[in-house]
Amino acid sequence: MAVRRGEVHALLGANGAGKSTLVKILAGVHPADHGVVHVDGRPISFQDPMDAMNVGISTVFQDPALIPDLTVRQNLQLSDIDEAAFTPWLTWFELEDLDLDALVRDLPLETLRMVDLGRALARDPQVLLLDEITAALTADQAERVFALLTEWREKGRAAVLITHRLAEVRRICDRATILRDGRNVALFEPNASPDATNGAATGTMFDVDEHDLVEAMLGAEVTELEERNESDSLSPHQPGSRSASDEVAFSVRGLTSGDVVRDVSFELRRGEILGLVALEGQGQERLFSLLSGDRSPSDGEIFVGGRQRRWSAPYDAVGDGVVLIPGDRLLALLPNLPVRQNLVVPLFSRIRQWLGLPADERQRVRNAIDRLSIDTRAASQVRRLSGGNQQKVAIGRWLVAGFRTLLCFDPTRGIDVQTKRETYALLRELAASGAAILLYTSELAEIPLVCDRVLIMHDGRFVEEQDAARATESSLLTAAHGLEVPA
Amino acid sequence: MMTALRSAGVALWRTGLARNTWTLGVWLLLSALLLWYATLIPVFGQFQVTSISKNSLPLVYLAIGQAIIVIAGGIDLSLGALLLLTNALAARFMDDQPFAMVLFIAIVLIAGLGILNALVGYIISVSGVPDIVVTLATGYIWSGFALWILPSPGGGTAPEFRWLFTGAQSGIGGTYVMPILMMAVPAILVFLLSRHTRLGLSIYAIGSDSVAARLAGLDVRRAKISSYAIGGAMAALAGLATVALTGTGDPRFSVGANATLNSVAAVVLGGVALVGGTGLVLGAVAAGVILIMLNPILSAMGIDPNNAQIIQGLLIAGVMMVGGLVTLLRERSA
Repeated sequence: MAVRRGEVHALLGANGAGKSTLVKILAGVHPADHGVVHVDGRPISFQDPMDAMNVGISTVFQDPALIPDLTVRQNLQLSDIDEAAFTPWLTWFELEDLDLDALVRDLPLETLRMVDLGRALARDPQVLLLDEITAALTADQAERVFALLTEWREKGRAAVLITHRLAEVRRICDRATILRDGRNVALFEPNASPDATNGAATGTMFDVDEHDLVEAMLGAEVTELEERNESDSLSPHQPGSRSASDEVAFSVRGLTSGDVVRDVSFELRRGEILGLVALEGQGQERLFSLLSGDRSPSDGEIFVGGRQRRWSAPYDAVGDGVVLIPGDRLLALLPNLPVRQNLVVPLFSRIRQWLGLPADERQRVRNAIDRLSIDTRAASQVRRLSGGNQQKVAIGRWLVAGFRTLLCFDPTRGIDVQTKRETYALLRELAASGAAILLYTSELAEIPLVCDRVLIMHDGRFVEEQDAARATESSLLTAAHGLEVPA
Repeated sequence: MMTALRSAGVALWRTGLARNTWTLGVWLLLSALLLWYATLIPVFGQFQVTSISKNSLPLVYLAIGQAIIVIAGGIDLSLGALLLLTNALAARFMDDQPFAMVLFIAIVLIAGLGILNALVGYIISVSGVPDIVVTLATGYIWSGFALWILPSPGGGTAPEFRWLFTGAQSGIGGTYVMPILMMAVPAILVFLLSRHTRLGLSIYAIGSDSVAARLAGLDVRRAKISSYAIGGAMAALAGLATVALTGTGDPRFSVGANATLNSVAAVVLGGVALVGGTGLVLGAVAAGVILIMLNPILSAMGIDPNNAQIIQGLLIAGVMMVGGLVTLLRERSA
């Protein structure tokens, strides 16, 4: 990958494609295992972020690199930045009223992004790396950033822009590099793109079909997966085999939490697996913490079996039969305790069982282990199990305790194919026996295999519903980018 | 124009006060206790002020050092042992020496212990072993060295050196000017260093969010090591103060262990959160004096000194709970 002077270079890719990791290498945060970074033709090796700044690479990371307990002024002082070089950028971003003595902790996220960007600019860098800079910004703030990038290009400086918003790429980027699974798979250039006649004429206009970009992010894998699916034992189930009933087990109406989750409504029926698809940071984490009772919504209602519920802690939700399997498995488990104790934890919320478990519940624990075929060779400490087996324990705990609605947050992240299939088979089986399941997954290819319906979330809202059996990876990814799906 | 300036000044004061309510609260508590103490005993004058201020010196120094280390996100359980080590070294080598030589030894000890503890900070940041484990271990080592240097209580120092910390060459009576000066000067220096220099702000930064600090291009390791160096130097000052107060050296292990725990108590009471990144050194100073003042106050009230520890524990727990409640209420109303 090469970034030229006077260009805005887009870096694109699906979740987990390695964009942020690449940026961290370029910024000197992580050392590269192999390969060399050249700046102005000279090979450079970075030991830490300061080295990258010294050769003119300034970065705005996905998470603000500002110290929460210090004021804006102190943060500038720390980075050895002259206020006189910084304040013009605040004016540019229409933040001239910002109190430099305000604590970073008290400022809203979008302001922090602008402060972070202003600080990066105040270093007067040659190359600007922007990781998801527009994700937290309001529309007019984003406009200011685009205006800046246009001017930046004219000054002959370079910028790398990571974004999930493809419309931005069209508008302001000169070229685009697509990453997939950590590899550089495609480079879109004005004169190489399919309908580049306009682009080549003006020399700066980047004119490429957004759907082509989406295809490139997915790449050849689409066809590979489709082939695999055909020979897969877990083929898309037939319409007749659906276990969904008409009985609504769990529903929410107008659920809102700040700006992160906005006016979300859905119904989850018994025996149904409802898929949820979203790009990173579209509010899905917050939605799950609302649904599991970990956080109270600022507005909206949650109904279980038709009755409105107000929860103050997950304990209440579990009492209503709504249980969560969180994305971070170790968060759900007690890593230093054996499998058996992990499985029985929820039972101990009933006081009469503090002294010991009755025989029938011992039996239930054994049944759960057998049913999930948990590998108990390393059973003395859950943290020593493989990721897949840990996931099984996290699910198995609720098999023992009993539940009616299961919320799964990316249950197959980082586990092997075999366990993945077992997990999905188990989820289908649970649904068939009457459970209602909400499944968020980052593996789009698996949606048609497991889900009945799929909802797409973008920017805190549900933007679309698709029939899972007919959903394809590209239709899902297109919708997840907030684009219209072509008919 | 003038009114605008004044209202801006008032606003600045207000945010300053709102942000440092805890520090302010601890100082108010100290003033209230002082007033109360003054009414409890028949005569309150120079003698009492001198006695409180000089007796607070060792703990205040340790609290300042501990505060800086805790703000940087660490904790140092060896500060009491470093105090013992300095105490033993000073009492042994200052005995029968002229004042100039004693001063020279004092400066060497402050610098030396700063470097020694910087080395501990370096070991912590390189090895990745938690601060609490490394400093627990080094604490035993320094206590052992102290016993080796001064196997039994003894030694001494120059009368002028005693005057420096206590205001009297005999260590008894004297004016309160010297002890208050000896408390205020290091406290204000470290406070200014911590809030108004890049090094000080880096120390706050790594304690607040070390990932963000690294991304912002700070040298996280250097800030950590510096915090330990300051802690070591302050522990050396505390050791010197004990020699000046008692006129001899005393390497008993329990003295050091108590001093360490008291320094942590003063830091917590002073509003420096144990998670790091917040609080002011000045709060720990006031809290240190409060903890020392409890003893004379309780004896003036006729309470058995053996029960003083219970009161001390209740005070810490009570203040922390009130503080937690205030924070909670403020978050609710915001």
